[in-house]
Amino acid sequence: MQMVKPAVPVIQASRIYKQFGNGTITALRDVSIDLRENEFTAFVGPSGCGKTTMLRIIAGLEHPTRGRVTMNGTTVTGPGPERGMLFQAYTSFPWLTARRNVEYGMKLLGVPKAEREARAMEFLRLVRLEKVADKYPGGFSGGMKQRVALARTLAQNPSVLLMDEPFGALDAQVRWEMQELMIELMERERKTVVAVTHDIEEAIYLADRIVFFSAQPGRVKADIQIEFKRGRRFPKKEDLLAQPGYSELERHLFAMMREEIRAAAA
Amino acid sequence: MSASTVQDADLEHPTDTRAGSELDESPLYVAPRARMFEFRSRLSTTRATVLAAAGLGTFFLIWQLGHSFSSAVNQKFFPSPIQVLTALYTLFATNNFLADVLKSCYRVFVSFALASLVAVPVGLLMGSFKPVRALLGPLVSAWRYLPAASFIPLLLVWFGPNDVSKLALLFLGVIFFLIALVVDNTEAVPNEFVEAGLTMGASRRKTLTDIIIPAAAPAIMDSLRNMIAVSWTYLVIAEIVGAQDGIGAVMMRAGRFLKVDIIMAGILMIGILGVFTDILFRTVTRLSMPWAFKR
Repeated sequence: MQMVKPAVPVIQASRIYKQFGNGTITALRDVSIDLRENEFTAFVGPSGCGKTTMLRIIAGLEHPTRGRVTMNGTTVTGPGPERGMLFQAYTSFPWLTARRNVEYGMKLLGVPKAEREARAMEFLRLVRLEKVADKYPGGFSGGMKQRVALARTLAQNPSVLLMDEPFGALDAQVRWEMQELMIELMERERKTVVAVTHDIEEAIYLADRIVFFSAQPGRVKADIQIEFKRGRRFPKKEDLLAQPGYSELERHLFAMMREEIRAAAA
Repeated sequence: MSASTVQDADLEHPTDTRAGSELDESPLYVAPRARMFEFRSRLSTTRATVLAAAGLGTFFLIWQLGHSFSSAVNQKFFPSPIQVLTALYTLFATNNFLADVLKSCYRVFVSFALASLVAVPVGLLMGSFKPVRALLGPLVSAWRYLPAASFIPLLLVWFGPNDVSKLALLFLGVIFFLIALVVDNTEAVPNEFVEAGLTMGASRRKTLTDIIIPAAAPAIMDSLRNMIAVSWTYLVIAEIVGAQDGIGAVMMRAGRFLKVDIIMAGILMIGILGVFTDILFRTVTRLSMPWAFKR
């Protein structure tokens, strides 16, 4: 079975250190990660392992203490629209209708009005919110609010999509629906994605590759290419669960997680 | 539970025709009697209106009883509600009270508008940028503890017994509290909104105008609404200063002649105006920010 391995790194993080509290706490120690084009990477690890900090450094929302993040060769020093971000907290703006929310990101990029409006509707349809395009998100459910934010980010057409526990606040059913929606969107949009999650099942379902962080100080414990999927994406989650190799990987990750939690407690 | 089980159940009862008889077979549920004081219970509009009327009614009843049971001499100093309402009517009908009311409204609204024009931008900047906050924070906090009324002599010397000194007093009375409230409202804007803006490429100016301001706007409107109430409370103090016109002046003049019914009519008038101001602010907020009232 041949597999096309996308090899070009879009983002290169080299030897990242992050310390807090004047060096008393080391959140990240010597973390190097290359993000390859069109690859979906999941950052997995126990609470407090620095996976979110690493994502925020890639986003440019936080500065590393040492080390460097480059995107296509240029050093990252701050946030930018080429690295779209989806947060765990709902960031759809309640003062704008769903449509205006999606338009807002494009407006910042200077997309002409007509194109903006057309694209906004296209992306709202994609996240199945076209019927509530002119409603304010205040009355939306958590999943709907998150879909507005997702459409807004994707409409900016970022080359990298960063997600910080994007479905963490949603209930199990909605999370599942959002995961399947992500698969559908990734099939269509072809992006380099990083998702921070502590949900092992979610990581295996969505990602091509799992970077497992160990806790305090955060370092890369394992960098796992999910071989059994062979680059395939499964529109239905249960089809993934039926794959040979799925449960082995899940068991392996759970064992690693337990090991880390135990080590952190000791 | 697998998905097929749910489907099977649906096939068993394709329509709802049996629902009626099924409903009858189910044991009757007798709900406990609704209690009056249930934590955070809902209240129908009718009940709420009745209770509000009862509260107000009791107040006026006690007032009336207090008056009725007072001695003839004391009754002069404690008029009944009817006498106060009559006094209020007479004020409007024969003493051109409307001019005084409008003058007072002018003072409250103009001074408050000026205070807001300063406090809202200053508060937004202090709440958004730490250096601005460090620069102005201690100053604003200190001013808040100075009683505005203590500036009356100073304002009289500076501006004389005219409108300017009255507007200045009302301005000083609210501005520092208003700044502090707007700072809090601005800081309460979730960090994620700001970060979402930054990751979408919003400049600092855009972040302020497109994100911080609309996000804080409903809370700021609430702060304004609460502070204009304070402005009304300062009105009488302001109008004592070289009293010529305005509700406060009318009340002060009535005091000199022991016209208690007119003093109380003035108090009542300010109360009514306060309630209307409150409704005005609520209505403006509702109309200008309908999104803020979605749950």
